[in-house]
Amino acid sequence: MTIAAEQEMPRSKRRSSLIRSPQFSSLVILIVLLAVFAIADANFLSPLNISNMMAFLPELGIIALGMTLLLTAGEFDLSVGAVFGLAPVVVMLLVQNGGFDIGIALLAGLLLCIAIGAVNGLIVTKIGISSFLVTLSMLLVVRGAALYITQGFPLKSWDQPGFFVTLLAGSFNIGTFRFYTSLWWFIGLSLLAIYVLHYAKLGNWISAIGSNRNAAVARGVPADAVKIWLFILTSVLAGLAGMISAFRISAASPVAGTGYELEVIAMVVVGGTALTGGRGTILGTIVGALMLRSIRNGIVLIGVPGLAYNIFVGVIILAMLILHALLQKNAARS
Amino acid sequence: MEVLRLHNLQKSFGSVRALKSASFTLNEGEVVALLGDNGAGKSTLIKAISGVFPVDRGDIYVRGQKVSIRSTRDAMDLGIETIHQDTSLAPDLSIARNLFLGREPVNLKWLGVFAPLDLAKLRDAAAALLKRVGISKKLDADALVSTLSGGERQSIAISRAMQFAAKVIILDEPTNNLGVEETHGVLRFVKEVRAAGHSVLLITHNIHHVFQVADRIIVMRRGEIVAEQTVADTDLLTVESIITGADMSALLKETRAK
Ligand SMILES: Nc1ncnc2c1ncn2[C@@H]1O[C@H](COP(=O)(O)OP(=O)(O)OP(=O)(O)O)[C@@H](O)[C@H]1O
Ligand SMILES: [Mg+2]
Repeated sequence: MTIAAEQEMPRSKRRSSLIRSPQFSSLVILIVLLAVFAIADANFLSPLNISNMMAFLPELGIIALGMTLLLTAGEFDLSVGAVFGLAPVVVMLLVQNGGFDIGIALLAGLLLCIAIGAVNGLIVTKIGISSFLVTLSMLLVVRGAALYITQGFPLKSWDQPGFFVTLLAGSFNIGTFRFYTSLWWFIGLSLLAIYVLHYAKLGNWISAIGSNRNAAVARGVPADAVKIWLFILTSVLAGLAGMISAFRISAASPVAGTGYELEVIAMVVVGGTALTGGRGTILGTIVGALMLRSIRNGIVLIGVPGLAYNIFVGVIILAMLILHALLQKNAARS
Repeated sequence: MEVLRLHNLQKSFGSVRALKSASFTLNEGEVVALLGDNGAGKSTLIKAISGVFPVDRGDIYVRGQKVSIRSTRDAMDLGIETIHQDTSLAPDLSIARNLFLGREPVNLKWLGVFAPLDLAKLRDAAAALLKRVGISKKLDADALVSTLSGGERQSIAISRAMQFAAKVIILDEPTNNLGVEETHGVLRFVKEVRAAGHSVLLITHNIHHVFQVADRIIVMRRGEIVAEQTVADTDLLTVESIITGADMSALLKETRAK
């Protein structure tokens, strides 16, 4: 919403509110972080390291786009990490043990993700259980299913080059940089999400539902249907990210994506989207995804012990949230 | 001329019979006040009319035509706009976006829910509307609703109901929590709305307001309509005693005699 509101404002006001907006402060912090890492270790901005970061970024980033829309509508999904793990495992089992064509197996994986999202959405909206409880249970079911059908063992992923592998995890070189096609997916989906949330009628509905569901329903907005579709979208994006990852490393592990749900939610809220709904920003989420990715990468480079990583991440997330809260208060006062 | 007629509406929540039986008629250009103590069933009645939930039994007629209202969208399409007791606006959206929520002006209509908002039209229409309803303080159509006062929000909600040329505007306790100035603003709105030819169903606990703006009074008790009088034929004390049920039998007789 913040973005759209800016678009509708005269220039002078637009500038001051842009500077106060949460995604702007996140961007400033991101730039500071990048500068610190770059100064601390020259390798941070090397083509190889940037290529590395850009290979990982889309996988969590794509899920974060769906999560942003869902959070803006006032719900969230803890099962994304498990879906990230299950989807490739199912696809690979169908190919390797079932002898199915990879295309058909991928279609089955897609349908599975749609079904998981639909079940989440239907239980949350029609039975009225909080999305925290529903998707937490779904996390256990989905992760358990992945472990059970693989008996806990990782599978070798599809390693023959082909249309789908190129489509999801192909790589190409630009100068000394090596990019994966997943980056294009991330950019394309980001643009789509920006359009939908800030410029389309649907985005107006999503923000209104998260801001005041009853008000939206009273205006004839189909709140339940919108939420169910957002749960489906988030699940499908989690499955897509899982496939991209599995193709890239040529392995599908039943424990892949463990803990991703929290990292994704962290990316989204660090970017300035409100956990309570109503206020979402895709640009902020992109900044948040870049931030967590570069922290993970940078602290390894500058020699922070791997086991101390979470301390660092946790402190930065807290600092960001405090900053957003203070800015929010400031804006309310003026 | 009759705009809205309810016949024997009934609604239960489990074992709670929130609406036992309600029948009344609302005429064109008329302000009817719906009174009754807490829990009398006023909100339930207007939620049934505005499509928040379906009734268990009973008929609704709009301009003499029997209609079925299954969703808020149905009610809006029939020209019934409701401003609910619990706030009707989304605080994180701008005034302009709230005014057109659910009826957004778009380009490329064939894209359905993915159609791009016509932001220029949205802003212009909102500004024109704010000007037309004459909200005293100048409000920026792009301001977030969360930055507005309770009275300003109420004014926005009422102007939204007016803008779609609704036949019937229903207000559920619109002056709740408002200051003196803001309350007068809302009452002035009600008069303007009537002058513009709309009918108004006004729910309130403030009987003084009723005597300032209403043409007719309907009193509910425990899910039933127990009295119906024109304002000219009654006075404050009488109405008060009907609501509290002080001298029910005598008053009921009086009502029936009419
Ligand atoms: N969704 C619901 N589920 C169960 N009971 C309900 C529901 N809505 C209303 N009721 C009950 O129906 C009765 C009528 O409620 P209603 O909200 O219509 O009262 P009201 O006349 O609007 O009161 P107030 O002046 O306090 O707003 C009450 O006893 C209330 O507890
Ligand atoms: Mg009520």
